[in-house]
Amino acid sequence: MRSTKLLLTILVLVLGSTLSFAQNDIMRQARADKFALTNATIYTVTNGVIENGTIVISNGIIEAVGANVTIPTDAIVIDYEGQEIYPGMIDSGTQLGLVEIGSIAEAQDIREFGDITPQMEALTAVNPNSEAIPVTRVSGVTTVITRPSGGVFPGTAATINLFGYTPDQMFAGSKGLVINFPSSGRRWRQTQEEADRARERALKTLNETWDKAELYAEIEGTDGARYYPEMEALARVVKGEMKAYIEVNAAKDILSAIEWVQEKGLTDVVFTGVAEGWRVADELADAGIPVITGPVQSVPTRRSDAFDAAYKNPSVMQKAGVKVALRTNDTENSRNLPYHAGFAAAYGMGREEALKAITINAAEIMGLEDQLGSIEVGKKANLFVATGDPFETSTQILEVFIDGYQIPMTSRQIELYNEFLDRVPGLNKNPVSTDQ
Amino acid sequence: MKLLRILSFRLFVLLPFLMAPVLVNAQSDPTGESPVTRTYAITNATIIPSPGAKIEGGTLLISDGVITAVGTTVNIPDHAQVIDGTELWIYPGFIDGMSNTGASRPDAMERPNNLFTPDPPNDYAGITPEISVVEQLNIEESSIESMRKLGFTVSHTVPYGRMLPGKSSLVLLTDVEHVDHMVLKENVATVSQFVGAPGSYPGNTLGIMAKWRNIYRNAELSKRNTEMYASNPTGLARPANDRVLEAFYPVVEKTQPMLFNASSLLEAQRAMRLQNEMGFNLMIGNLEQSWKIIDELDNNNVSVFLSLDLPEKPDEIDDEDKSEEVAELEARRLEFYNRYMEQFAALKAAGIKFGFSTMDVSNSKIKKNLIALQEFGFDSTDALAALTTHPAELLGINNITGTLEAGKMGNAIVTTGPYFSSDSDVKMVFVDGDKYEYEIKEGSKTEVSDEVLDAVIGTWNYSSTTPQGEQTGQLIFTNVDGAIEGVWTSDAGNPDIDMNNISYRDGVLTFDIEFDAGGQLIEIVVTGDVVGNEYDAEASIAAFNFSFPLMAIKQDPEN
Amino acid sequence: MKKLILNLFLILGFSSVVFAQVPKGDVLIQNATVLTITNGTLEDTDILIEDGKIKSIGQNLRQPNNVEVIDAEGMFVMPGIIDAHSHIAGTSINEGTSQVTAEVSMEDVVNPMDVSIYRALAGGVTSIHLMHGSANVIGGQNETLKLRYGTTNPDDLRFEGAPRTIKFALGENPTRGGRARGIQPQTRMGVEAMIRNAFNDAIEYRDEWAAYNANRSNRKIAPEYDLRMETMVDILEGEILVHCHSYRADEIYMLMNVFSDFGIEKLTFQHANEAYKVAPELAAFGASASIFSDWWAYKLEVYYSTAYNAAILTRNGVNTSINSDSGELIRHLFHEAAKSQKYGSLSDNEALRLITLNPAMQLGIDDRVGSIEVGKDGDIAIFDKHPLSTYAIPQMTFVDGVKYFDINTDVADQRIMIDPESTIEDVVIFSREDHDMCMHEESIVNFYELVNEEK
Repeated sequence: MRSTKLLLTILVLVLGSTLSFAQNDIMRQARADKFALTNATIYTVTNGVIENGTIVISNGIIEAVGANVTIPTDAIVIDYEGQEIYPGMIDSGTQLGLVEIGSIAEAQDIREFGDITPQMEALTAVNPNSEAIPVTRVSGVTTVITRPSGGVFPGTAATINLFGYTPDQMFAGSKGLVINFPSSGRRWRQTQEEADRARERALKTLNETWDKAELYAEIEGTDGARYYPEMEALARVVKGEMKAYIEVNAAKDILSAIEWVQEKGLTDVVFTGVAEGWRVADELADAGIPVITGPVQSVPTRRSDAFDAAYKNPSVMQKAGVKVALRTNDTENSRNLPYHAGFAAAYGMGREEALKAITINAAEIMGLEDQLGSIEVGKKANLFVATGDPFETSTQILEVFIDGYQIPMTSRQIELYNEFLDRVPGLNKNPVSTDQ
Repeated sequence: MKLLRILSFRLFVLLPFLMAPVLVNAQSDPTGESPVTRTYAITNATIIPSPGAKIEGGTLLISDGVITAVGTTVNIPDHAQVIDGTELWIYPGFIDGMSNTGASRPDAMERPNNLFTPDPPNDYAGITPEISVVEQLNIEESSIESMRKLGFTVSHTVPYGRMLPGKSSLVLLTDVEHVDHMVLKENVATVSQFVGAPGSYPGNTLGIMAKWRNIYRNAELSKRNTEMYASNPTGLARPANDRVLEAFYPVVEKTQPMLFNASSLLEAQRAMRLQNEMGFNLMIGNLEQSWKIIDELDNNNVSVFLSLDLPEKPDEIDDEDKSEEVAELEARRLEFYNRYMEQFAALKAAGIKFGFSTMDVSNSKIKKNLIALQEFGFDSTDALAALTTHPAELLGINNITGTLEAGKMGNAIVTTGPYFSSDSDVKMVFVDGDKYEYEIKEGSKTEVSDEVLDAVIGTWNYSSTTPQGEQTGQLIFTNVDGAIEGVWTSDAGNPDIDMNNISYRDGVLTFDIEFDAGGQLIEIVVTGDVVGNEYDAEASIAAFNFSFPLMAIKQDPEN
Repeated sequence: MKKLILNLFLILGFSSVVFAQVPKGDVLIQNATVLTITNGTLEDTDILIEDGKIKSIGQNLRQPNNVEVIDAEGMFVMPGIIDAHSHIAGTSINEGTSQVTAEVSMEDVVNPMDVSIYRALAGGVTSIHLMHGSANVIGGQNETLKLRYGTTNPDDLRFEGAPRTIKFALGENPTRGGRARGIQPQTRMGVEAMIRNAFNDAIEYRDEWAAYNANRSNRKIAPEYDLRMETMVDILEGEILVHCHSYRADEIYMLMNVFSDFGIEKLTFQHANEAYKVAPELAAFGASASIFSDWWAYKLEVYYSTAYNAAILTRNGVNTSINSDSGELIRHLFHEAAKSQKYGSLSDNEALRLITLNPAMQLGIDDRVGSIEVGKDGDIAIFDKHPLSTYAIPQMTFVDGVKYFDINTDVADQRIMIDPESTIEDVVIFSREDHDMCMHEESIVNFYELVNEEK
């Protein structure tokens, strides 16, 4: 038994990304077992780099990590000599599972009708069988925040691991209520006047609704108090029971949002987007509010800005003392997360901090630092094996573990590659070779 | 409600008091409006007979439509009305190089049933170069009076429309009984503009450029075919008649220029691109950005009419703590403001004679802008040349007007001081020898009365039931330099729209707005009664022949 | 076809367009690692550009007088990047009102003042293919540009001498346009029929003019001139390269069949997300593909995509380029090309060809740009690291030997034209759908049509 598994793993290693039919046929299902990943360079993120290290995975949890680890006799041992192991990457803002095809309304469950829909649960609408999920996880992205959008209070975002057959199997244990802070910035094709009026309306909605939510929180549960699902959802944030992800981008809006958060006495708050965070990095640092920013590969918010303003944004905030996590704000191309991090690294953040921004910082921001974001004993076995630096496109991802499951290294995109690289039949269908 | 009814209603409201000379042959005039004499002598005035010249204590004599004498020693006929010009200044009447003055915007064409968008009928596509603007002239157009009041006596008027709206005419800004009497010169230029047809071909600049080339090339062919057939039809297939192509013949022959309405640098370059390909005579009007193409305009021998729609001087943030970045950006913006303002002097320095176009500028800003240019190397003499002698030359009427010289048309402006200063007023305007007189308000310069201020100025919240459902927003009226200006806003997030033709009289508030629906301008006319802080109005879209109610409540200014 | 008509217009007084003089520069780049594309990687090598052309490549080149010298020790020099699908620097994208608008041309709507041009230069891009949109089956002619930023004259950006190209479009976009307007085509069947009709009309038109010109007495009435048909004839005669917006394998296959029937050879499929499915057929036809590195799932016809498209096409012998179709992606096409190493393990040179020589061939400008060779244009990008590394940062970009981007002297505000009435803090929050993508351009709602349809 053990030798078969070993053989299989070696097969995977040898074949690399050019997966064979055999592997597809056998590896369709994830496998749960006790694993020992040996001889790898382990980037723990929180405890440095371990050369020739071993990771033992048992019951979905990292049981041991180190250079001198006793390998349990019942573990499947996979030799990763020359390879590198990293904690699974976390994309702190996506629509994964909610959007299948961008142009088709019926294939999107991202925006509910109404400005005030905080009780809408993204987790409910996550399609575990979305084609984008395998495409994303074979690139080493194991965990994402998936979030609704639109209106002032679009709903509640959830952190999910990219493996599981029901939303509950995917749920990673953290939620946050999304607030779109009224934006002074224009959207594309919107005039400044339109934006200003939209902002005024949104500000009114935000403040009036928040007053109600505070009142609701105060009288909730008293005799005769009415049930009001929108306010109930908001009241959780008012009472500090639920995190708020506040989407805010323009510099002056960030300052207003800091003021607003302080005025409302909210402490469990994360700013998301934060496209102009670099302009007010010190104020963000002083406020002690962590940020989820990105996409890093973005055009600057102003035509008068430098070409690399967005590339440098995470670095400037991080250097000012802001806790920074990154997001792609994407769905099907959330797989590009390591490249967004790579650009942030190149434009001032450095590789180490950029890696934190898509691992441990993200976990801390979500309150999941005891479970995710680094390779440490006791944490969930969310990790991946790579041939080198995952920020480089020449690097191949060899293996992915999510919740301790060894994930099949396939996706429809890989299957299509296998089918069409050397298509049968090729140009001519007719002269079928009978030699085979 | 029919647009016409609103239009005439509006005109009635706007008609200022004035002496309306009526050219009648009959001796009896029960209206009492016709003048006793058409010989006028303004004496002891400061006369600027042409840009750069000046006669102190001079007399201007206009008789039966013609200037008969200008100078310090003039024999005044006994039958003249003598006007004491002490402290008054006299200028040649202004010439507007490009505008819609005197023309009424025709009703928007109904979208034809079963419109085949790739090949719409010419009139829907906006391809009507055969139309003369005379067909759109309307003796009751309020713009005639409002432009005259500023000193304009002749307008180079272009038709409303789209890509090829028709042919322009030189129009006398005078009150007459028939539009023909206004026309000084018909079919001066064929007009082109980069305005696409709504949802059909040509829809934008891409299609317009291609269509334009196609028409021009076919006009060349058609002209040749037609001439061949005319000289000897035997054995030839008869060439089809085509009014569009025929309208291009004089352009192809270079006997008539092509006038492009091109406000931006890129539009002007496109016009010159077509000129380089085809070789026609080019005029460019309404131009706002000329400073980068001065050499090209010169080399291509383009007749230029620069827009008087100048940018507002940008406000700078008054804060000592403003960031270096903001300060630098403000400096760059100011630099571009300066380029807009300095282009007039730059063109002059390059030896280019140009006129002005008032097409996209509100009347209240024309004089203000002319004065503002003085700070940018373009002095009153330069401005006067661009308002008189230069456009006269470019439009081929310098032999009849543009200066105050004996023998020229009786087109003149009488002001209470130097025209190009903020404390002078136009007292009289002579157009074709007829006198129009204006009351000079003493004291306050503001033309908005207290009554209007109280009743109208402020912010109104409206709601309106349209075919798309309930629409809400604000009507914001402000007093800008003595004129009411208004902005229409929409809570649905549509762009703000500036109101036009705002009037308030006898409790009736009327204005209209235009908005761009995919390249087509749609006009909504709003009119109704103001009672206290309530406005009960009806909004009409003539293009679709329907109207809908609009109610507005004025906000308490305290809030 | 132009020739037929030209004679006539010469008689009528046709005046030809004069090209503007564009600046040409001299520069000596020393001690660089040179990624030539056609001649391997040269270490510690100098490149001398004189009067805008690469004059010599080698070690220890003599330094001419008065030539700027750039010490590129430790740096990587590659040919300027070429984007075969872009919509930056254009004021209009679609003339979508008709199914066939071959007569329109993007050269009429070039906007040299678009800041996106500078941002592309800051990503090592030196040439773009400014394309018409995809709203109609036969859209407008495209314009190949060199990114000579700093001018206000559109003519200064033209890639002088580049062949004419034209946009075709298949699939969802033109059929959606047909449905919106209540005209053909509304299916992929109708798209094919429309293209065949247009070519057959062009043949008829050509014959009519040929008959007129063949036996031309002075006494003959000339046929009608039709710029649309002129352009279609030029396609038939191979004077215009066709770049066709397409996604699905079936529609790609269809167009190759149509072109075979009409004898048209020069064909590049744009986007072509499913080109990998008909890679052998593309190779046999000699057609090219210009694709995204990894975009998919934004509409139904790209749902069955694979990021391995570039690798499959390359391995099957199809000339393939990676394009941006976006004002964002254009800033890091080197990185987009590098993804072909993740998805299919292309070699460094194969990956770099996707954004240099291959798109140059697709645009018919490979005799001028796309590789570092003596005699080619001095269009060069310099990086601090290997351009296929995610950490690479473009340092300098030259067009015709003139430096248009230098990270050492870069200043933030690169606007050429500023509206004096604009606000200082003009913040635009982009969503990824907002980038300059042609697949979204035709979604603009026409108020007038809406109002009338409601009646």
